[in-house]
Amino acid sequence: MHELRRPSLGHACMAVLRRDLTLAWRQRGDMLLPVLYALIVTSLFPFALGPEDALLRRIAGGAVLVTVLLAMLLALDAMFRSDIEDGSLEQLMLAPQPLAVMMGMKILAHWLATAVPLIVIAPLLAGMLHLPAPVIPVLLLALLLATPLLSLFGGVLVALTAGTRRSGMLLALMLLPLCVPVVIFAAGALAAAQEGLPWIAPIAWLGAALVMAVVLAPLACAAALRIALDS
Amino acid sequence: MANWIPLWLHKLSSPPAFYRFAGALRPWAITLALLLGLVALYGGLVLAPPDYQQGDDYRIIFIHVPCAWMSLFIYGVMGVAAFIALVWRIKLAEVVAMASAPIGACFTFITLVTGSLWGERMWGTWWTWDARLTSELVLLFLYLGVIGLYHSFEDRRQGARTAAFLALIGIVNVPIVHFSVNWWNTLHQGSTIRLLGPSSIAPSMIWPLLTMMAATKLYYVASLFGRTRTDLLALESGKDWVRQIAETEGRA
Repeated sequence: MHELRRPSLGHACMAVLRRDLTLAWRQRGDMLLPVLYALIVTSLFPFALGPEDALLRRIAGGAVLVTVLLAMLLALDAMFRSDIEDGSLEQLMLAPQPLAVMMGMKILAHWLATAVPLIVIAPLLAGMLHLPAPVIPVLLLALLLATPLLSLFGGVLVALTAGTRRSGMLLALMLLPLCVPVVIFAAGALAAAQEGLPWIAPIAWLGAALVMAVVLAPLACAAALRIALDS
Repeated sequence: MANWIPLWLHKLSSPPAFYRFAGALRPWAITLALLLGLVALYGGLVLAPPDYQQGDDYRIIFIHVPCAWMSLFIYGVMGVAAFIALVWRIKLAEVVAMASAPIGACFTFITLVTGSLWGERMWGTWWTWDARLTSELVLLFLYLGVIGLYHSFEDRRQGARTAAFLALIGIVNVPIVHFSVNWWNTLHQGSTIRLLGPSSIAPSMIWPLLTMMAATKLYYVASLFGRTRTDLLALESGKDWVRQIAETEGRA
């Protein structure tokens, strides 16, 4: 009789990541919804503000940024929903591997499934609003740093609401204070790039915040989950 | 060192002891708050001279500034209570943190409204996206998030602990509000009152302000004690001490 071998941490991480990505891929339709939402919202701006190029060019960066953030908020609610319903989240909490690392992997999978498609179509959204071409790389860089930050913050908040029945509106209310600085710095970089000024400082701030969040948010997420599901 | 202070605090953290303590202190706090508030209003609205620049319009400061102080102070109290609730799992700390949230939200709301009235007279606009205004608005959203999260749980203690965690995450905002006028030099004026060193405000204006600050603090204590007493009764409704209170008060 051989004893049960505990899988290594790397194996466990890959298993969680692969499982979540497979689940996301099996429901490709759900992955497309935020993208469609972002496309619709962006195409509404010219109708609401009038089709003048100068005006659209001025608001393009901020509008794309806010649209992407809202589209992410749309998908945030479902981050742990199915795992709570089928009980696999409880199994993760009982697993010998550190919960924080597992939650980090789940957040990474969620970011890959929802934010990456949005970043891929971001140049299209920016083009629809006539954002000048030299600014588009800055937009992509800002989104690459801002969307994981939002996924990480969102992961903590979703974990806090894990034990509740309704959370959609509440999640938006709680996320707003946390995403204000992210929006300010990302928009600051875009505005600077559009005026031809150096834009590296706000991007560096976003990067610093992301490094902090990558370390702290999974820990906070695990702690929040233990509080919210402890009964 | 005197040993009785930690002992007394330890005893006070038990719900029946705090219930009696708060009940005894609450009438005093509310009377003093009303008295000081009236004195401060008389001093501020009648005795203090008009400002050389702003005329009589500046008098809203006697409401606006004490409320703004309280909005941050209460968040601080809530954060400390939330920390105690999460680390030591003291029931009273959970109740205090959750009872503070609505009071703090009210003070924040009053701050925003009076500030917007004042801004309309002085800056010619109801609202501007100035750093301090924005971070005060974010503070209001934080309070509302805590209240909303607390009420979305069926189990009140679990809701309190979860909302306490959110309050701790949000505490980052408090220093941002406090120092925003020094960090970003925008429309909102800098602070004129310093605890250490001379203030740049006339003594005839500062004493009503400080009196009003004491009044709002006492009002907070009174309101907090009232809310805490009710919450404790609801939370401990199955316990013996609540039954005794119900019996004695029912007989009276």
